[in-house]
Amino acid sequence: MLRTIIAGLKARTARLVLSSVAIALGVAFVTGTLVLGDGMNESLRDELAKGARNVDVSVTVSEESSTDVQGISPETLAKIRQAPGVAGADPRDAQQVPLVAANGKAKPAMAVSLASDEKLREFDLTDGRYPTAADEIAVDKRTAATAKLTIGQPVVLLGKEDQRHTYTLVGTYQQGTNSMSLSGSDHVGLTQEGFQALEPERPPYQVVGTAAAGFTQQQVADNVRKAIGDNGFVVQTGAELTQAALARVESQSGEFTTLLLAFALIALVVAAMVIYNTFTILVAQRTRELALMRCVGASRGQVFRSVLVEALVMGLTASVIGLFGGLGVSALLQKVVFAIGDSEGVVRLPMTVTTVLAAFAVGTLVTVLAAVLPARKATRVAPVAALRSQPDSGEEVARTGVLRVLTAVLFGAIGVGAIVFGMGIDNEEAAMVVSGAGTMALLAMVLVLGPLLVGPVNRVLGALPRALLGVPAKLASANAGRNPKRTAATTAALMIGVTIVALVTVVANSAKETVNAEIDQRMPADYTVSSAVYDRPLPEELAAQLAAAPEVAKVAPTTVVYGDRAYLTGVPRDAIGDLIRPTVTSGSLADLGDGAIAVNADYAKRSNLSVGSTVDFTPVEGTTQKLKVVAVIEGQGMSDGLMTLETSKRFPQALEGYESILVKLKDGVTNGRAAVEKVTDPSPLAVLDSAAETKEQLNQQLNQVLGFIWALIGLAVVIALFGIANTLTLSVLERTRESALLRALGLTRGQLRLMLVVESVLMALMGAAIGLTLGIGFGWVIIEALSTDTMAVPLAVPFGQIGVMLAGAVVAAVVAAALPARRAARTSVVAGMAEA
Amino acid sequence: MSALVSDVGTRTAVAAENLVKVYGKGDTAVRALDGVGVAFTAGRFTAIMGPSGSGKSTLMHCLAGLDNVDGGSVQIGGTEITSLADKELTRLRRDRVGFVFQAFNLLPTLTAEANILLGLELAGRKPDREWFDTIVDVLGLRDRLKHKPSELSGGQQQRVACARALVARPDVVFADEPTGNLDSRSGAEVLDFLRMSVRKLGQTVIMVTHDPVAASYADRVVLMADGRLAGEIDNPTADSVLSALKHLGA
Repeated sequence: MLRTIIAGLKARTARLVLSSVAIALGVAFVTGTLVLGDGMNESLRDELAKGARNVDVSVTVSEESSTDVQGISPETLAKIRQAPGVAGADPRDAQQVPLVAANGKAKPAMAVSLASDEKLREFDLTDGRYPTAADEIAVDKRTAATAKLTIGQPVVLLGKEDQRHTYTLVGTYQQGTNSMSLSGSDHVGLTQEGFQALEPERPPYQVVGTAAAGFTQQQVADNVRKAIGDNGFVVQTGAELTQAALARVESQSGEFTTLLLAFALIALVVAAMVIYNTFTILVAQRTRELALMRCVGASRGQVFRSVLVEALVMGLTASVIGLFGGLGVSALLQKVVFAIGDSEGVVRLPMTVTTVLAAFAVGTLVTVLAAVLPARKATRVAPVAALRSQPDSGEEVARTGVLRVLTAVLFGAIGVGAIVFGMGIDNEEAAMVVSGAGTMALLAMVLVLGPLLVGPVNRVLGALPRALLGVPAKLASANAGRNPKRTAATTAALMIGVTIVALVTVVANSAKETVNAEIDQRMPADYTVSSAVYDRPLPEELAAQLAAAPEVAKVAPTTVVYGDRAYLTGVPRDAIGDLIRPTVTSGSLADLGDGAIAVNADYAKRSNLSVGSTVDFTPVEGTTQKLKVVAVIEGQGMSDGLMTLETSKRFPQALEGYESILVKLKDGVTNGRAAVEKVTDPSPLAVLDSAAETKEQLNQQLNQVLGFIWALIGLAVVIALFGIANTLTLSVLERTRESALLRALGLTRGQLRLMLVVESVLMALMGAAIGLTLGIGFGWVIIEALSTDTMAVPLAVPFGQIGVMLAGAVVAAVVAAALPARRAARTSVVAGMAEA
Repeated sequence: MSALVSDVGTRTAVAAENLVKVYGKGDTAVRALDGVGVAFTAGRFTAIMGPSGSGKSTLMHCLAGLDNVDGGSVQIGGTEITSLADKELTRLRRDRVGFVFQAFNLLPTLTAEANILLGLELAGRKPDREWFDTIVDVLGLRDRLKHKPSELSGGQQQRVACARALVARPDVVFADEPTGNLDSRSGAEVLDFLRMSVRKLGQTVIMVTHDPVAASYADRVVLMADGRLAGEIDNPTADSVLSALKHLGA
């Protein structure tokens, strides 16, 4: 029996290789995902290990401290240094500081104090040396590149009162891949003295120390604890510090891995369908062969096993190929992640036992499972079938199983139920999850109903090619519809991929449109001048300078006051209704005078406010003020409340400077940006935004994320297209005689090729059309679930992107048909007719 | 049609000269056709006969332009076809040749009517409705036109194939064992029709068969053995064919 199986495998190498590609791709995706997750974990671990390397004892301020310990005072530091067994201890601290780049503009940077003991530093020097004097500085390698800094040059940081501190750049270092470096934030390192010069009174948040020879970490930690007391401090040994850090790793990288695994699962389902379909066709084609085996005495069990062993061999081979392909996929994804984060990471490809097991489970187990049903079908082949002249796998197709309809109804009921229930949930996240699950149930319903949909959809889609391309298209349409089960199974894979791409795209696009609308509402001005660095307001004289520019029609400076769970904006009285246009739901903005406030509907609801009530607003700095509510306003992205500029000055924070300055240009001014920039250029903090530019930036970010998701699902789509190519190849083989007959009757080679291409395109379009319909519908469901009373997300269908998807499907289908079509056209008529 | 009828017995529909077809190379080469020269007069029903491996099917394939030849020439209606490119050859088949094969004559996805009209559609020609009706009625297919091949009996399927072969009024109809898969009654019906299409409609039919009874329907039998012509019988009967075949075998 084994010899027969091996002979069979040899004889069908080409077909099996093609089917293996689909499996290998699925395996590659799953492996790639797992390896990527492991790689990111590993890099995070290394990063955290860097933070804890050589540290024997660490003292941090306790987060749950009931005391008023703000940081580690110099006295405490001295105590730590003097504790028995401490060889040396250095504070660690970081703060945000504006860095003035080569173009004179400030950008936010993270400044850290470097430990005086080189062993305790968390970075790796890449060039030059670490700073040794207070006026020297080292910067992160990437910061050096983006801010165009070279060793030997001066680097300017802005102190608390915007005073300039100039340092000489002496070296560059490399941070690892961590949240800080991925966020693209700039990073600079200073000596302890240099760091303190920025803000003299600031106590550090952590002190790390090394143990003297002969002391264990535990002894040193105990001694330090004794020296400074337990109150308000957390004392950890180096080992404990590492462990605590590692505990955070899982939760940080877990989310990303889960997301990737979700896509891997999609790829897997798609691959399983392709495999199942391939085996169904392979078995159907071999009816005669299997029947002959039964004739010469093979038992049902032997036939069953022969099909399964074939699947096993195929699965194993594909798993091995897929496993290594997965490493490539992972390397590629890591490069993509690095490119998005604009960081220089090291590609890591750790191969764990889990990964290997998953690869073989997916590749081999799924293949064998997918082959079980077809194998069972194979055992039902009657020996007499060997004698029939034309094996036709297109039989027993039209049966509409009652079971099928019942299953579909069940899925439909679950789906609709979950969606209706999900819409009713107030919590956005829960609503999205429940409704999302509902849409997936509906997707399952459509999958089950697939064979019933093929007929009508094929008739509709086939109409145009039939009219345009004549007989070959007519034949193609008939072929696509002749075996609804096979066509449904073939297109299902693509359908799933397209559904999810369309869903994600529609939701992302709607979110984008919502955000854009919000920006439009928030930025009615032509330009908004704001501060490049959070927490550093703009100087007040800038507003006057801008107002004096001849091109400027009007300016409106705004202030911001942060309080407990709310923040308020101060605006000039005369800017309301002009540069600032909230929608009033009750009360009137005309009453917005001294000591009055117009509250946002959200805030009103949250704090139970209405027109006439009084707010006791407690700011972060300063004393509580009573404000009278004169209006309730609505507007996405508005602060929690509007007040006049004068009222806001009751709070110390508003006195520090302006949060932003809205600029409206005179009509007909064309070079507005240049005019405004002339005023803002001397100020390192002032940066210029226009609504259009802000939208552009946000859209770019969204598109990046979307691109990543497209790339991920793209793989599932590629697998699906291999499925189409697969089905087509097998169909071509099955229809060799038919093709020969058509050629004899006068179908040219070109027409035969066209016929297969049209069939392929029809199948792809079927999957894409149903997928798009579902995806857009599902997108609408999710958006509805996300929308709340105060934030409506309107459905925005990205027709351009959907057009790209459809065009992509057509192109891919043409490519998928290329090989089968070539093969069909090359077969000679006589040889084709002779084929049994 | 009258023009066709008047041509009977004078014009040559298909002719082959010194036809050579070799399968394989070197020591294993088999000369399936070894210098065959034969002409088929228009408006006549000719059967090609011979034992298995005599080259009769190969001859038909080469005459019909389904297979390329290794030497010699073939003319259909005065057109030399051995030098034609695949595309021109396909057009020639579509416009001037009809086929009836032993089995698998019809596309399972098309109805009987669509199958009959397939060749005309491929050629982009409008069917002559009157002619179509004549053929369909003669073959008794009127109430079967809307059926798919899987709903037709073997005999009906072959009759649909005959209708398709004739509806385009080709120069010649090639029939390859058209009754091979049929019971004797259905076979007789198909052969009757082929003979009638020659006698009454002026069609030229070349049929390959190994059945002496089928051959007896023809006006002339061409005998083949070992890739060469081995004789001819005019106005054959089943008995005369059988004895000629016995002679060949001996």
